[in-house]
Amino acid sequence: MKLIDANKLTALAAALARAGYRVVAPVEDSGVVRLKEWAEGAAIRTGAVPVNSAKDFLFPPSEIIGRWDLDGDDFMPRDVQPDAPKTVLLAVRPCDAAALALLDTVFNWDYKDDFYNARRQAVTVVPMVCTAADEQCFCTSVGGAPDATAGADAMLRPADGGTRFILEPLTDKGNALLDAAGLALAEGEAAADPPVEIARRFDVEAVTEWLSRNFESDLWPALSLACLGCGACAYACPTCHCFDIQDEATRRESVRLKNWDSCGFGLFTLHAGGHNPRPDQTARWRNRVMHKFSYIPERFALVGCTGCGRCARVCGAGMSMSEVCRLIADETKKAPTHES
Amino acid sequence: MDVDRLRQDAAAVLADGRARMVIGFRDRAGDRVPAFITDAEQAGELLYDEACRQNLAAYLKKAELKRFRPVAIVARPAVMRSLVLLAAEAQVADEDVLVLGVSDDQEYHGILDLAATAALLNEKYAEMPHDPDLVKRIEEISAMTPEERSGFWTEQFARCTRCYACRAACPMCYCTQCIVEKNVPQWISTAAAGHGNYAWNIIRAFHLAGRCTECGACEAACPQGIPLMLLNVVLARDVEEEFGVKVGYDAEAEPVIGSWREDDNEDFIR
Repeated sequence: MKLIDANKLTALAAALARAGYRVVAPVEDSGVVRLKEWAEGAAIRTGAVPVNSAKDFLFPPSEIIGRWDLDGDDFMPRDVQPDAPKTVLLAVRPCDAAALALLDTVFNWDYKDDFYNARRQAVTVVPMVCTAADEQCFCTSVGGAPDATAGADAMLRPADGGTRFILEPLTDKGNALLDAAGLALAEGEAAADPPVEIARRFDVEAVTEWLSRNFESDLWPALSLACLGCGACAYACPTCHCFDIQDEATRRESVRLKNWDSCGFGLFTLHAGGHNPRPDQTARWRNRVMHKFSYIPERFALVGCTGCGRCARVCGAGMSMSEVCRLIADETKKAPTHES
Repeated sequence: MDVDRLRQDAAAVLADGRARMVIGFRDRAGDRVPAFITDAEQAGELLYDEACRQNLAAYLKKAELKRFRPVAIVARPAVMRSLVLLAAEAQVADEDVLVLGVSDDQEYHGILDLAATAALLNEKYAEMPHDPDLVKRIEEISAMTPEERSGFWTEQFARCTRCYACRAACPMCYCTQCIVEKNVPQWISTAAAGHGNYAWNIIRAFHLAGRCTECGACEAACPQGIPLMLLNVVLARDVEEEFGVKVGYDAEAEPVIGSWREDDNEDFIR
């Protein structure tokens, strides 16, 4: 098996960079561990779940998808190609990789998104098995696992008490990555460390079932009281994929932008005529829960949440998707009331 | 801190109808998250310690919570200043809000109306010293050349994803239509990059000049770790020096941003 010492991940990153990969890895930046393009000298931080998810590198916060030169009344379209360098997502999390099944589906469902697909094809995904978790982690409640391989091209498995990693290829892309790593990897034997145990917090099928008959429920205002209506959860989420198309122009040039958007914002559903079908945060938060645990399961037979817990970690108002799902699941366990 | 007294007072104001809801903090697996208590019997869930940093006055702008007024809000001094300032800006009336006051060093001040809150602030918290590390960083950034300083902020704002968590966390960001929502036409670039990010963060800082009570909630809420308090504190200091006003101490004071004087030393405004 192929091994690398735990403190030599940067040597692996350097070897892959030399082999032509853009290396994206968890690094510390302004006091926050985030996934970003690795540069020579940066330490790779595997101890904390990064604040952002791997989706940033497939579906960036803002992307130019069209460009026109303007000259008086004339306009001339210019060719815009996706910026899709060969990339490795190194030491991301199984909950990042698990999100790819949904992103692949929604960006190829009714319309094939060339920008997403170009980036997706150029990406090799190398998650790290989690041997630690925090209070926000709940992958096992939504069908995931700290050692799940879904969406992975190769796995980094902590071994020998965290002193080294086993790099195990799973796909052709994974094999190509191991070849490119060359001498950064050693041949040898090691014992994989057990993944962290994460207790199941709720029955996701019970949540989906409850949602299917509770669009109107007295529970929604209580479940959403703390939400102040920003987009932090959606932007940290590995599966949230809503975007807004905006045209912005100067006198000489116009660009068409594909920007992240969030159902937490009032503007998200505001109609041109002034009506808003989701008039308050209760309706907006309900949509967030419904989309992940009812509409996506119904439409794609997937769960719209990978249990990464980023939404709760970044929320400045203490909202937690796992807590809300647990409260909903608890509701289904209550004795039914018999109304005449 | 005497959490029992806080709980007793919360239960008392709910029981006798002085408040229809108490907004405080509870524990969730070690995190401090907001608690919305409407039943006196649930007041035992409340707790308070130095980890309780969210500015709960921000909930006054939430439409769904208006029907629970009057609300009693657990407030440290910076949050008390937010409430007094919201009253000065006519966003809350005296009868809408009660304060369950706590000091930054965990002293409990009891149940206060807005007048008593302002009196307490003037008596005990007229000077609220800044974190020395923050002051040091402000000095470092102030010593930069304009080009260096612009480069520093360009780098900081490059991380902004325009999630507007700063705006949501801030009790003073109550505009019913924020400048970034003015989209017919779009006033500032929507791209989470470059000049749009710069414009958003600078416009927000300027709109809070003379309105920020330095609670730190925006910076704490920023998932990207952008040091927003460096801007807010400098602007608050400028307002204090230029206009002689420290906001959030007087519910009758005219807001700096919404008032003018005949003896203003600038020609254009006279």
